[in-house]
Amino acid sequence: MVEKAKIVLVACGTAIATSTVVAIGIEEAMQERGVKVITRQCKAMEVPGLSSGVDLIVTTTPVPGNLGKPVIQTLAFLTGVGKDEVLDQIEKILRS
Amino acid sequence: MDIQTLMSRFGSMIILPMIIFILAFSMGAKPGRAFRAAITVGVAFIGINLVVGLMVKILSGVSNSMVQNTGRLMDIVDVGWPSAAAIAFGSTVGIWVIPIALSVNIILLLTHVTRTLNVDIWNFWHFAFIGSLIVAATGNLAWGLIATAIASAFALFLADWTAKAVQKYFGIPGISIPHLISASVVPIAIAINWIIERVPGLRDLNIDPETIQKRFGIMGDPVVQGMFIGLVLGAIGYCNTGDFLTVLTKVLECGMGLAAVMLLLPRMVKVLMEGLIPVSEAARVFMQKRYNGREFYIGLDSAILIGYPAAFSASLLLIPMVILLSFILPGNHVLVFADLVVMPFIVAMFAPVMKGNVVRIIIAGLITLVIGFYFGNNLADLFTTAAMSTKFEIPDIAAGAVKIISIGDGFMWPPFVFTNLTYAYGWAALLFLAAMVALLFFFYSKNTKAWEKATGVSDED
Repeated sequence: MVEKAKIVLVACGTAIATSTVVAIGIEEAMQERGVKVITRQCKAMEVPGLSSGVDLIVTTTPVPGNLGKPVIQTLAFLTGVGKDEVLDQIEKILRS
Repeated sequence: MDIQTLMSRFGSMIILPMIIFILAFSMGAKPGRAFRAAITVGVAFIGINLVVGLMVKILSGVSNSMVQNTGRLMDIVDVGWPSAAAIAFGSTVGIWVIPIALSVNIILLLTHVTRTLNVDIWNFWHFAFIGSLIVAATGNLAWGLIATAIASAFALFLADWTAKAVQKYFGIPGISIPHLISASVVPIAIAINWIIERVPGLRDLNIDPETIQKRFGIMGDPVVQGMFIGLVLGAIGYCNTGDFLTVLTKVLECGMGLAAVMLLLPRMVKVLMEGLIPVSEAARVFMQKRYNGREFYIGLDSAILIGYPAAFSASLLLIPMVILLSFILPGNHVLVFADLVVMPFIVAMFAPVMKGNVVRIIIAGLITLVIGFYFGNNLADLFTTAAMSTKFEIPDIAAGAVKIISIGDGFMWPPFVFTNLTYAYGWAALLFLAAMVALLFFFYSKNTKAWEKATGVSDED
């Protein structure tokens, strides 16, 4: 059976700058760890409209609450500090 | 054949990928990854060029008919910060900006002048932007490079100075924002806030940010904004160009075309960003390894502040106001469009100073932009020259039909001040600017508490 790819919604202020860094960081790390992921990028304000059907939301800036999905707000992909811990957390959520 | 000729023959589309490869590889990225990144950067340039071409074609059409219709000359098209970033990185200065700004940062860290380690390589374009305007004005590459170095030091000063307030207000410990749009306008916000505090009535006004966001609904979306602005501009420009069906077709085409630009331009920038990631990552690791264990702030993009409600809501309200301003400000030739999306960046760091008061943020934003229009009108010729010399081959620009500018950073005071001073006084201006930045660092270090209080840090912290 082909394993279904998990979908990660990556949000930042503009859906251009920091979310690209995060999305690529997640894709590369999860590929190494053998987790199939697809990332989608959006602006923080668009998260409520796009959150249905995704497995995890990762954001660099606050997003509106009560989405019923796991949300990780982190700057680790930008600063490099604590990046491995966040990746472990992401992997755990995606494998569950 | 010398390097300069070779560079002008190849253009940024070829040169910048080569530089990116060398930089990424020499800072420790794997050759395969560096190579892919380099090609991606070249692809991004082609993409941005295509979209800017489409945008300028649509807007110069509107602008031409508008002159005939209304007598209002709006021949400077706002092509947005993505274009400005591409022009800056693609210029002869842009090729040097990464090593220059990194060296300045290392020197200032080693000498304990700054506490910020700027890992936001992407936003080095703001420094190169200033340098490329100076090269366009004076033809002197050395002046451009020195101005770029001074601008990068100035950004570090702004980051240090505002760090405490930003960290407290946004809850992001250890971070500072060396962003030359968001941070450079903080002094303006401080001055305006000081005045507002002394005006009875006005000082008590506020609006709830959540209400604004709900009211705006889909109008907050750039694609919808693009469509809407396109329809309005099209209607003004083409209202008497033929029978009803002809007019309707032109207006709808204008709306759809500009909606396309609003969606596609950021996508193209994302490609550029993707290509720069291996370099910025390598640079971050390189810098952090050397400063391990020392206390410093990590300098990041102000994009991380955009999700906070006050500034975002204020910028939603600023967009229609800026469009209105473009029509009523006497002597303005700028047709604002692509950079309506840059509003959140302009006001992002007003929030700590003004404690998130939306009314104050809007007032400060408006004043910044009113002045900005005149900076933009002033810098349009140089911006256009800089674009041409990075091989932005856009027929309407080449034919002299329109000029181009962007709100970020074309409406900002640092490019205006740096460029005009250097144009007028050359070396003396650069010495003066370097001395000013040094003095700012000096006075800040002598009286840190008072300086930080001005940016919004309260006494009890």
